[in-house]
Amino acid sequence: MNFLSACDVFLSQGFVYSLIALGYYISFHILDFPDLTVEGTFLSGAVAYGLICSNGINPFLGIILAFIVGALFGALTGVLNVKLKIRPLLCGILVSTMLISINLVSTSVGLVGDFTVSGETSIPYGRDVVTLHSTKLFSFIPARLRDFGNIGLRDLVIFFAFAVICKILLDFYLKTKNGLLLRATGNNTQFVKMLSCDPGKSKIVGLAIGNGLAAISGALYTEINGNVNQSMGIGMIVIGLASLIIGISLFKKVKFMKDTTKVILGAIIYQACLTLAQKLGVPSAYNKFIMAVLFTVALLLSGKLKFKGGSKNA
Amino acid sequence: MLELKNVYTSFNKGTVDEMNLFKDFNLKINKGEFVSVIGSNGSGKTTLLNLICGTYDLDDGKILFEGKDITKVKEYKRAKHIGRVFQDPKKGTCSNLTILENFALADNKQKRYSLTKAISKKRIDYYKQIISQCNMGLEDRMNVKVGALSGGQRQALALVIAGMTDIDLLILDEHTAALDPNSSETIMLLTDKVVKEKNLTALMVTHNLRHACAYGNRLLMMSGGEIIMDKKEDEKKNTSINDILTVFNEISIEVGN
Ligand SMILES: Nc1ncnc2c1ncn2[C@@H]1O[C@H](COP(=O)(O)OP(=O)(O)O)[C@@H](O)[C@H]1O
Ligand SMILES: [Mg+2]
Repeated sequence: MNFLSACDVFLSQGFVYSLIALGYYISFHILDFPDLTVEGTFLSGAVAYGLICSNGINPFLGIILAFIVGALFGALTGVLNVKLKIRPLLCGILVSTMLISINLVSTSVGLVGDFTVSGETSIPYGRDVVTLHSTKLFSFIPARLRDFGNIGLRDLVIFFAFAVICKILLDFYLKTKNGLLLRATGNNTQFVKMLSCDPGKSKIVGLAIGNGLAAISGALYTEINGNVNQSMGIGMIVIGLASLIIGISLFKKVKFMKDTTKVILGAIIYQACLTLAQKLGVPSAYNKFIMAVLFTVALLLSGKLKFKGGSKNA
Repeated sequence: MLELKNVYTSFNKGTVDEMNLFKDFNLKINKGEFVSVIGSNGSGKTTLLNLICGTYDLDDGKILFEGKDITKVKEYKRAKHIGRVFQDPKKGTCSNLTILENFALADNKQKRYSLTKAISKKRIDYYKQIISQCNMGLEDRMNVKVGALSGGQRQALALVIAGMTDIDLLILDEHTAALDPNSSETIMLLTDKVVKEKNLTALMVTHNLRHACAYGNRLLMMSGGEIIMDKKEDEKKNTSINDILTVFNEISIEVGN
């Protein structure tokens, strides 16, 4: 039972965080852009979702809003880099710093209509009321079937579905003309220019997708977390990148598996390691430290110590 | 169709390494001309191509394309009417995509890169047919990543891709330099065929003097950012490799096979 509930935890977190990792697959792996915006957009997604849900609006709209908000700020990072020629790392730092205030103010305004932010900084989360699987969308399923297991298990199914749907959509996208152009942009901007396309535009699109996914991840995470608080985004860069790199490097030799599948598996393995550390009795205060150590190990294993997507050198 | 007027270009302006390459440079290329450009290393051939394509900005002067001033037009916008093969074989193709995917992308040039499927099964035979002209067996390796090909094979693919869509101007920078003698001949013949079939205006930089003499209808020689020889049509036909070598005498260049 103990083991089962542990599985439940790392699988849930794994699927939720796999969305950030999929986002990084676009921005970091394909576009070779070390994007620090996700700390901010993860929280933005959570705030947007929390506000929608706490106002009794359909949570699926919250997910869509989260994606839009994340995508907009991801695009802003792209614009800073492409149009103002600011270095990638700085762009991410600028936008995520900006987002600290934006997230705080939106939380306060959304809850108590207070611009001066003496109001709320966290959105409490009425779990039994606003979980995704209790929405109208699923009302066609008889209640008996809908209410299987416990809330945690039902959430797990939802998270799994989100990860798989996002994976399938990404796989589809990367095979379209636009997606192929994105892959070319990360590899050879000169080639893209000769196709008479603006590589800057592709880059902005890629960063928008990456951060949109991070925001959805944040939205889903509120279901695990039980509330939205302003420190939720911290550590997301490491989680996303570590999941991505573990997945891609661990399954490098596996030809039949799509990269997106590897990324999801990477996210789960990473969360499993963290859960294992906890089960071994490491106090939770050490969490972020262990996260960083595991990430370093992953980097060492993949031989990617350089801050590079690795797709550059053929 | 293409005119460079009073062009000035320099590198590292304002530093000790400042180098003024082009000073009041002028060149006019007419429609249908196939221009071979020769000149020693560092004479400014690649820079000239970069200026035409918009990779580099000019310090001063104007570039006209079909009568329109394109001096300020961005590189990717100019590319709509220009096909280009680079000196560096890595630049003309995309290494992390397959041959087929490279074709699919190039095939869509001048159209929208929309959310529809990139690879159309119907076009594959057409791609195979054009790449088979290179005689490199690439038509049987359509699903191989381009990064796994040799420099020469990549360059051949780059040429085919560059000439695939409806362009007006073809820019070639030592595009046969990385190839073995046999492939180099094949690719030159293919280049000539593409230029003639599509009625292109072409600008070809080469270190192979035999190619420079045998192909094209105009010959330019550059040195130190200036054009020191310009021969058209009959005048070019009557120019032999030895004539060029005399002009070249103190400059060491690699003479073609
Ligand atoms: N991006 C650059 N930065 C500095 N110097 C450059 C640059 N591009 C070309 N040059 C200089 O301009 C001169 C001409 O170079 P290039 O046009 O590449 O010659 P080539 O005729 O061999 O193609 C060389 O001296 C080169 O060092
Ligand atoms: Mg050169």
